[in-house]
Amino acid sequence: MRTVSVLLVSAFVLALAGGALAGEKTYGKGVTGAETVLVSELLAKPDAFIGKTLRVKGMAVGVCAHRGCWINVAGDKEGEVVRVQVPDGVIVFPPEIVGDEVIAEGVWTANELTLEQTKAVCAAEARKHGDENYDPDAVTTCKTLYALAGTGAVATTK
Amino acid sequence: MRNFRKVCRTLHRELGFLAVGLTLVYAISGIAVNHAHHWDANYERTLVERSIEPPGTGPTLEVQPVVLERLGVTVPVKGVWRASTEVLQVFVEGGQYDVNLATGAVGEHGFAKRPLFFDVNFMHLNSGKAPWTGIADAYAGILLVLAMTGPWLINGRKGLKGRGGVMMGLGIALPVVYAVITRLQL
Repeated sequence: MRTVSVLLVSAFVLALAGGALAGEKTYGKGVTGAETVLVSELLAKPDAFIGKTLRVKGMAVGVCAHRGCWINVAGDKEGEVVRVQVPDGVIVFPPEIVGDEVIAEGVWTANELTLEQTKAVCAAEARKHGDENYDPDAVTTCKTLYALAGTGAVATTK
Repeated sequence: MRNFRKVCRTLHRELGFLAVGLTLVYAISGIAVNHAHHWDANYERTLVERSIEPPGTGPTLEVQPVVLERLGVTVPVKGVWRASTEVLQVFVEGGQYDVNLATGAVGEHGFAKRPLFFDVNFMHLNSGKAPWTGIADAYAGILLVLAMTGPWLINGRKGLKGRGGVMMGLGIALPVVYAVITRLQL
């Protein structure tokens, strides 16, 4: 009985340690083999990729602080990012991922906002950037939010 | 019946001891994540605002070393990102610096795993998947056995035919009534 207990505890500790020692972190289903598309290409012709399964690669420069349900992946050009949105609770990106090199895979999607939704999004962005001069009436066209509906990702810390 | 009661008592006692640790994990984490809209149950976050001499909005390759020197970063830098013409972000272990290149304003964001809570939430939410899935399933099985054997431990007035039965009825009625009300409202 004592031997069995020792073996069980050892197996448990080894199994946990094995997971903790892995160098790169895999989220969700990881990445399989979809085509890698440059962020600049995606943002230049976003409608051309809608519905396609693809990969993006770059540094994670933002993460959802509430539930880890998205990351922003930096592009090959300064200031350009794409959002990788994942199902709440299914994949959780931790704050530590920021600054890591990420390969994320998923389906490129477009979410067409109504004018009211566009105003709300613009108001939130204005608040975030401390823009006190934001005027909702100045927003007259609807916005489309593009994102990669992520199925998996692999993050590597430099 | 006496033998059945004896088996129930033995199972309940032994598995009850085994379940203490895991019950504490799931109970503490349950309260913590139930109130996730009130606080970040996993991480403590800090923000320190300070300023450095403005490095200017020149090319990233030129301003980056200047920024790093003026920030006095002592931990390894994971990455640097020019978020916009005016903002340079420096990512380090446990946080990031948001530097306004034009004004020199710096937002120093830090985060650290909450002791105990991060670990119990990680287990409760099964963030690590295998091997915890097996352990959590086994624990759920143990809870089922505890629930099924519990009512048979005591006979008489305080048992199933008396106060114990009333308490058990209340415990079953609570989720059933809630489920019915929820269904009616949906």
